[in-house]
Amino acid sequence: MKNLIVFLFITVLVSSVSFAQTAKKYGNKLTLKEKTPVSVLFKNPAKYVGKTVLVEGVIVNVCEKRGCWIEISSDKEFEKIRFKVEDGVIVFPMDTKGKKILAEGVFEELVYTKEELIEQGKHQAKEYGTPFDPSSITKGKTEYRLKGLGASVN
Amino acid sequence: MHWRKLTRLLHRDIGYIAAGLTVIYAISGIAVNHIQDWNPNYKIEKSTIVLDSIPSNLTKDEMVLFVLKSIGETGVVKNTFRASPNELEIFVDGNTILVDYNTKEVEQEKFNTRFLLKESNDLHLNKPKGIWTYIADLFAVALLFLAISGLFMIKGKNGIKGRGFWLTIAGILIPVAFWLYYYL
Repeated sequence: MKNLIVFLFITVLVSSVSFAQTAKKYGNKLTLKEKTPVSVLFKNPAKYVGKTVLVEGVIVNVCEKRGCWIEISSDKEFEKIRFKVEDGVIVFPMDTKGKKILAEGVFEELVYTKEELIEQGKHQAKEYGTPFDPSSITKGKTEYRLKGLGASVN
Repeated sequence: MHWRKLTRLLHRDIGYIAAGLTVIYAISGIAVNHIQDWNPNYKIEKSTIVLDSIPSNLTKDEMVLFVLKSIGETGVVKNTFRASPNELEIFVDGNTILVDYNTKEVEQEKFNTRFLLKESNDLHLNKPKGIWTYIADLFAVALLFLAISGLFMIKGKNGIKGRGFWLTIAGILIPVAFWLYYYL
């Protein structure tokens, strides 16, 4: 009996260690093998809009309340891309911040008017308790992001 | 066995089984319902200090060591990121450190999970997926049974043919009235 308990204990320990070393999967299984650098997507967005791509980077920001988006660093300095997932379908925990990620999603182009950006800014300010000055928005903008399908976080 | 007696037995035993999950779902329900006002999963503490000076001749790795030493952070660095030429973000377990070279401000954002509440929210919102989906379905069916069987537990003037009828109607009218108010 004692031997059995020791055996079970070791098995559980070994499986926990191996589990800890494997990447955590989110959403669908990754289907693409070839990675597209984020800088390439931003350099020539028209070529990639609507296409499914696989990107690699570091998670530099996480939606604090719902875990419904993350921001992934680019291969180029000062650049990042938002990876938006459907609420509740994929939930990224806060502790993924700073971890490496392989993420697959559809590259999207979002065109916002000035009014939409002001509304968005007000909403974010309310949700995160951050200051927002509507006069800082002077015109609309085009944003590129990934509609998240699946990811593997290390 | 009379159907009413059987209903009572089933209502009692299923009620016992469902009690734990009902408590978890109810507490989590209140927590998540007010997500606009607070973070139901994490406790986040932000603090800012201003350094006397930031050396300008350091490499990124040296800068990371300098900042960590300056704020007394001893955690393992997971990664770094530069959002702009004047900023450096350092990711440590449970802490994100943002350094602004211009203002010499070092902002820290530390987080801790809310004990039991995060776990309850994860289950309530079916984060684990897989087999938990079916357990949650079974729980929903159990609640449905408890609600319907509960209507027929009591006989007489306080039962479904008397007071119970009007209270049940009131319970149905509350969501209907709000739906009409919001969407018509």
